[in-house]
Amino acid sequence: MGIRKYAVIGALALAGVSMFGLSAKAEDVKLTVWSLDRDIQPAPHLVADFNKLNNGIQIEYRQIQFDDVVSEAMRAYSTGQAPDIIAIDNPEHALFSSRGAFLDLTDMISKSTVIKPENYFPGPLKSVEWDGKYYGVPKATNTIALYYNKDMFKAKGLDPNKPPQTWDELVEDARKLTDPTANVYGLAFSAKANEEGTFQFLPWAQMGGGSYENINSEGAVKALTVWKTIMDEKLASPDTLTRGQWDSTGTFNSGNAAMAISGPWELDRMSQEAKFDWGVTLLPVPQEGAERSSAMGDFNWAIFASTKHPEEAFKALEYFASQDDKMFKNYGQLPARSDIAIPATGQALKDAGLKVFLEQLKYAKPRGPHPEWPKISKAIQDAIQAALTGQSSPKDALDQAAEKIKAVLG
Amino acid sequence: MKRLLSSIRDGNGFDIVLVAFPLGFLFLMAGLPLLYNILMSFQEVDMFSLGTFLRPFVGFKNYQDLFALPETWPILGNTAIFVIGSIAGQFLIGFGLALFFWVNFPGASWLRGLFLVSWVMPGLVVGAIWNWILSGDFGVLNFMLRETGIISGNIFWRSDPNYSLYAVIMANVWLGTAFNMILLSVGLASIPGDLYEAAELDGANAWQRFWTITLPMMRSTIGAIISLGLIFTLQQFDLFAAITSGGPNNSSNVTQYWAWDLSFRQYDFAKGATISVIMIVFVMFASVVYVRSTRHEVRG
Repeated sequence: MGIRKYAVIGALALAGVSMFGLSAKAEDVKLTVWSLDRDIQPAPHLVADFNKLNNGIQIEYRQIQFDDVVSEAMRAYSTGQAPDIIAIDNPEHALFSSRGAFLDLTDMISKSTVIKPENYFPGPLKSVEWDGKYYGVPKATNTIALYYNKDMFKAKGLDPNKPPQTWDELVEDARKLTDPTANVYGLAFSAKANEEGTFQFLPWAQMGGGSYENINSEGAVKALTVWKTIMDEKLASPDTLTRGQWDSTGTFNSGNAAMAISGPWELDRMSQEAKFDWGVTLLPVPQEGAERSSAMGDFNWAIFASTKHPEEAFKALEYFASQDDKMFKNYGQLPARSDIAIPATGQALKDAGLKVFLEQLKYAKPRGPHPEWPKISKAIQDAIQAALTGQSSPKDALDQAAEKIKAVLG
Repeated sequence: MKRLLSSIRDGNGFDIVLVAFPLGFLFLMAGLPLLYNILMSFQEVDMFSLGTFLRPFVGFKNYQDLFALPETWPILGNTAIFVIGSIAGQFLIGFGLALFFWVNFPGASWLRGLFLVSWVMPGLVVGAIWNWILSGDFGVLNFMLRETGIISGNIFWRSDPNYSLYAVIMANVWLGTAFNMILLSVGLASIPGDLYEAAELDGANAWQRFWTITLPMMRSTIGAIISLGLIFTLQQFDLFAAITSGGPNNSSNVTQYWAWDLSFRQYDFAKGATISVIMIVFVMFASVVYVRSTRHEVRG
C-alpha cells in the first residue's frame, strides 16, 4: 500500500513538473539563428550564453556550411522557412537587403543603447547599409596587410624595420628577396579565380583611385600592371593564380616566400609555425602620401523580414554586440568596433601584428554593397587572370571588366 | 475485375506492373528534374523565385546570352578536348593493361584487382593527391621530370594556361583506366578460345589474330565502354574543383564545372540550367550509342 501511495504522489509530482515545464516553454519566445560558426567560434557560445540568461527568449542554433549559406538562406526565405537571425558574408548582404528579405533595423538601432553606429569601423558598417538604412549589424571583421620575414630582410641587406611602403619599393624589395636557388619567392599572395582574387586585388585598385564601378581607371590599370610585373619576373610563384590565401601564406610560414599579403586569421598559425622573426606592415600604396585602402572581410548579423519576433531578435543581436569585447581573446576574431581596445595577448609578434591590422581596418572598404556582387566580382577575377596569364594587356582586361560591370550595374 | 486481377497475377498485367515500377521511379527521380531543368533554361530565374514554378518566360534569351559570352566557345572546346583526351587515354591504357593481364602470368588476377584501387577512391581525394603531385614549386611530377633530365625548369601544371587542362586530363586518365581495364578484361575473357586455335592452325600471326578476332569480337564491349566513358567524363567535377577550379583564366574550365559556377557561385541559375540542357544533348547521344552497342548482350 505504502509503495502505491508514493507512486501516486510521484506521478502527480512528475505531472505537475512537466505541466509547469510546458507552460514555461509556451511563454518563451523561440528564435532560430543560422551561422557558419563551429564550436570554437563565437556564435554557438553567444547563443548558449544568451539562453542561460533565461529572459523569456530561447534561441535554437543551426550551423550551416560556408558554401551553403546563401543558397540555403534563399531557399528557406522563398519557401517561408527562413530563420529569425542569420550570419551572412558581407558582400552578399546587399543581395538580401535590396530585395526586402532583411529587416530594416534603422529605427531600432537609433533607440538602442548597445548598438551605436558610431562605434563601428566605417567599412563594416557600410556593408550592412542599403539605400541609407541599416539592415544588419557587423558580426566581426578582418582585412589584409603585408607580412614580411625580418630574417630574410637582414640576410639580403635590407633594413628589417623598413618594410616596403610603396608599390615600387615592394617590387624592388621582392626582386632582392627572390632567390630561386634557395626556393624563395619575394612575395606570396592570391590571384585565384574566386572571391579571394577580388578580395586581394580590389584594395590595390582602390588605392590607385579606382573602384568596382570604375575598375579601368588609370590607377587600377597601374595596380594590375604591378601584379603582372611580379608574376612575369617570377617574384611570386606562378601557382599564385590557382592558390588561395591560406595555402599561399603557408609558403611564407615555411620560409619559401619572403613577404605575404594576408589577413589577421593567419596570426595564430604563423605564431606557431614560422620559425623566424616576422612583422606586419600596412599594404603598400602607389606613391608616398597616396590614399590608403584595404579589403574588408567577415560576416554580418541580419534579421529576416519574415520573423514573427523582430523585437526579441534585435534583443539577441544587442546581446551578441555586448560580447564583442571578448571576441579576440576567446575566438581570435576582430570585432568590427573602433571603440573596443583589444587587450594584449602577451605574444610580442602577434600583438605587434594586431596593432597594424587595427590601423589597416580604418581604411578597409566593403566589396559593393551591390545585390549582384558575385557577377561584378567574377568580371574582376576574369580580368586579373586574363592579364596575369598574358592573354590580354592589363588595360584591355580591365576595360572588358568595366564593360561587363556596366552591364550588371545597368 | 476478376479478369484484371488474374491478368496481374499471370498475364500482360503482370508485365505492365513490372515495367511500370522502374519507369515510375525513373520518371520521378530523373525525368522530373530533367524536365524542370529544361523549363528553367527558358525562364528568368532569380534566387528569390527559386521556390516557385511559374517564372517569367523568356524564350531563347538565356541561350542567346550564353553564346554571346566570350568564354562560351573556348569552354565548349575545352570540354571536347577533355572528353576526347580522357577517353582516349583511359581506353588505350586500359586496353593495353587488359591485354597484358590476359596473358595470365602468375599473380595476374591479383595485380588486376589492385589496379581497381584508383577507381574506388573518391574524386576529391584523387584530386587532392594530384594537386600535390602537380604542384609547381614542390610537385612530385616536376621533381621526377627534373631529376630524369626531361625538363630543366619547373612546369606549372595547374597555373600555366598551356598545361592546366592537360593536368586535369592526366588525373582523370589515371582515375578511369582501371574501370576500362576491368570491363575490357571481361570482354576478352568472353571470346571463345577455339577461335584463336583455328586461326593459329590457319597460320595467322598474333597481329592478324588481334585485328580479325579480338577487335571484332570486342565491338559491343568497346562501344559500351566508350559511351560510359563519355558519360563519366562529362560528369567529372571533383577533379576540376580540387586541382584548377577551372582556371587560370578559364583555360581548364569545362561545361560541367561552369554550370556549377554559374548556378551556385554567381547565382545565375537560368544560365546554369541552359548549359546543363546543352550537355544533356551530348549525354543522350552517348546513351543511344550505349544502348545500341549493348543490345546483343540483352538478347544473347
